[in-house]
Amino acid sequence: MIAEIDIRLSNQLSELDRVVEELEAFLEEAEVPTRARFNINLAVDEFVSNAINYGYPDGRAGEIDIHLARRDDRLAMTLRDDGDAFDPFTAPEPDLDASIEDRRIGGLGVHLVRKLADEFSYRREGERNVVSLTLKFAPDAT
Amino acid sequence: MQIDRNVEKDVVVTSVTGRLDSSSSHKLDEYLAVIPPDSRALLLDFAGLTYISSAGLRVVLKATKLARSAGVALAVCGLSPQVHEVFDVSGFSTLIPIHPDRAAALVALA
Repeated sequence: MIAEIDIRLSNQLSELDRVVEELEAFLEEAEVPTRARFNINLAVDEFVSNAINYGYPDGRAGEIDIHLARRDDRLAMTLRDDGDAFDPFTAPEPDLDASIEDRRIGGLGVHLVRKLADEFSYRREGERNVVSLTLKFAPDAT
Repeated sequence: MQIDRNVEKDVVVTSVTGRLDSSSSHKLDEYLAVIPPDSRALLLDFAGLTYISSAGLRVVLKATKLARSAGVALAVCGLSPQVHEVFDVSGFSTLIPIHPDRAAALVALA
């Protein structure tokens, strides 16, 4: 079974609620298992929020595009934005062994997504950041 | 996202229901920004939490740091498998005591 969707938004935080609604509707319709649903929400939340909050420091209008495809045993996502170049592989990793006092508040989101995704890649294509990730699951998982 | 608060056996229990994401986490942040005076311990009951993002985790970490510096114990309970996994992957499981449910948490915090 293949199911696909394209979700487009402008770089406004107010768009996030609609994006989540469309995402959830797609995941429901495509019968994506629980764990993958949760983790794709994390990825969308993280990358879309980061693009909106940090990708356009000059305040320009921007466009973010999310493409999702469910195949039998995986969910593939490609997220494109026209914000400033940001390579998630260069984001510093949080120190997981630090004590409570020493743990920094930031840096978690990208780390989470990289750890939870089965495949994860980034490339810069002209004026766009392109993040691709895959979540795998058993075809009959719930 | 809904937040409820009550006090049980001198433990301030904050229950969160729904999604804790970029839109909603600032609400919880406000709630947890001040530790009620004479609190013996704080418990975050996540039994109704369906989703948490890194924004939500940041709020939890901030609250944990605040509790630590005030000498007040903080624990969480009721994590779903997905939320628990996120706690594990982010290293929070070694920082913050996790209990299966409120009853167990209250016993541990007694």
